[in-house]
Amino acid sequence: MSLVAFDLSGPSRLENMELVVDGASKVFGAGESAVTALTPISLAIGAGEFLSIVGPSGCGKSTLLNLIAGFETPSSGEIRLDGKTVTRPGAERGVVFQQGSLFPWMTVLDNVSFGPISRGVPKAEAREKAMQFIDLVHLSAFASRYPYELSGGMQQRVGIARALANEPRMLLMDEPFASLDQQTREILQFEIKRIWQRTKTTIFWITHSIDEALFLSTHVAVMSARPGRIKKAFASEFFASDDPMVGSTQAFTEAKREVTMVLHEESMKSSKQEEQR
Amino acid sequence: MSAVPGVKQSADGQSAKVNRRDTVIQLRSKLMSGRHVSFLSFLVMFAIWVVATTPLLGAPMVSPVFLPSPQSVVMTFLKLAQEGYQGKSLLYHYGASMFRFFSSFIGCVLLGVPIGLMMGMFRIVRAALDPPIEFTRPIPKLALLPLFVVWFGIGEFSKIFMISFTLFPIISISAMEAVKSVSLRKIQAAKSLGASDATIFWRILLPGSLPGIFTGLRVSVGLGVSMLVGAEMVATSSGVAFMALSASDFLQTNIVLVGVTILAVTGYLLDLLVRVIEKVVVHWSGRE
Repeated sequence: MSLVAFDLSGPSRLENMELVVDGASKVFGAGESAVTALTPISLAIGAGEFLSIVGPSGCGKSTLLNLIAGFETPSSGEIRLDGKTVTRPGAERGVVFQQGSLFPWMTVLDNVSFGPISRGVPKAEAREKAMQFIDLVHLSAFASRYPYELSGGMQQRVGIARALANEPRMLLMDEPFASLDQQTREILQFEIKRIWQRTKTTIFWITHSIDEALFLSTHVAVMSARPGRIKKAFASEFFASDDPMVGSTQAFTEAKREVTMVLHEESMKSSKQEEQR
Repeated sequence: MSAVPGVKQSADGQSAKVNRRDTVIQLRSKLMSGRHVSFLSFLVMFAIWVVATTPLLGAPMVSPVFLPSPQSVVMTFLKLAQEGYQGKSLLYHYGASMFRFFSSFIGCVLLGVPIGLMMGMFRIVRAALDPPIEFTRPIPKLALLPLFVVWFGIGEFSKIFMISFTLFPIISISAMEAVKSVSLRKIQAAKSLGASDATIFWRILLPGSLPGIFTGLRVSVGLGVSMLVGAEMVATSSGVAFMALSASDFLQTNIVLVGVTILAVTGYLLDLLVRVIEKVVVHWSGRE
């Protein structure tokens, strides 16, 4: 079990991987008031990989996710999925938000079958598919409930099932567990790991928690303070551990220390930026 | 998550939820006692009315010409219900008023909601329609009634038009604000699930706008009923408001109060109806 420095944007990766961020940057506004959210970033994610992004708040993590999701277009460079340039949101990139993205006027079943039905899958078939994924997140008993009748953790499960029901190539997750309490969070971390291993979906994961990143992912990237870029990236092996207590092993603690040091430096810069504003 | 006054928002979601449920229960019990207070206040008002108009020692404190007693108002209502007013039955007058109100209200909903939604969704539509709507909104509509009579004649249309002139801006602007308030996140979620623009409109924007639209409907129900008084002020010999207005010319205060009460009760019941429908249709409202 170890953590090693890793180049996410090596030439061979940029050519061959499933998702490629190729020198993508994002500038908001123009002229004097222009704010550079992301300096040109390059990284590649291979099929079945689980990449976690950690970084100080305001570093542009979410902007990066918005670019990959197609909610925003890069100011320079491009994003490619299977060699095709991303220009708009698409069902092959499922997005799970932090909270508030479920449709409260629809039942759990209608939320989860929304994707397949939108893509033209016949209703009965879409509902059957939705039920499979509701089952996968252990919410079968709640299929006909409305989101507001569920706890925060259950709502996030619905969000995950909804994204999965389209059987996307990759899942983009923007701090999906940030608003949950620690226990619910830990349970859902195990669940997402199980789902990832079972569906082999590629995952792009944004988080504040280094523990979470190390526990779940094959790769961890630390972003710099704004303007955001990849400060350092690692390949991690802890995800493969069967030990539920892997978090308290010495190797894990050392790995955490290493990532924390990189992140801490950037967080300090970031909070200085905040003070100057 | 909306902040509830008096409740410290806790960082972890679970206990925030519990806290909020507690607050809802507290609020509900407050509303209960609030309802008692309302009932009491109603009783006090009614008692004052009874005392002021009942001949306890000789003449009543207030002359019946200014304020008739409750009994005599009820008697007048029964008499009107039997004999009608100025040759037409009370039901006919009520029907005439309701026809004007509902023609206007339904017309404004059918036209105002789609236009408001379009204004909220397309900047170009908003740019075109916002100035005329905002410009005419503060004009006292009553002042324009003579003009409408000149334009549209003394028939029903000028009356319906005047009520609509009040309701349309409320309904269309509330629909516009409602669709603008649908969270970007829900729209993005729908897009990334593969929804077309049409699907996003019918399954996200429209249902997401319903709570705001209903607020507009409730406001306009109350206003629409009270606008009947303006609409039936000239060039008509039918309607409950006409009845009240013309009776006041002859100091028939009884009839005035009957008319006013009928309108008030109607407004209250219509508001209640909209509220009941709202509760069923937008069951999720305020519970996110």
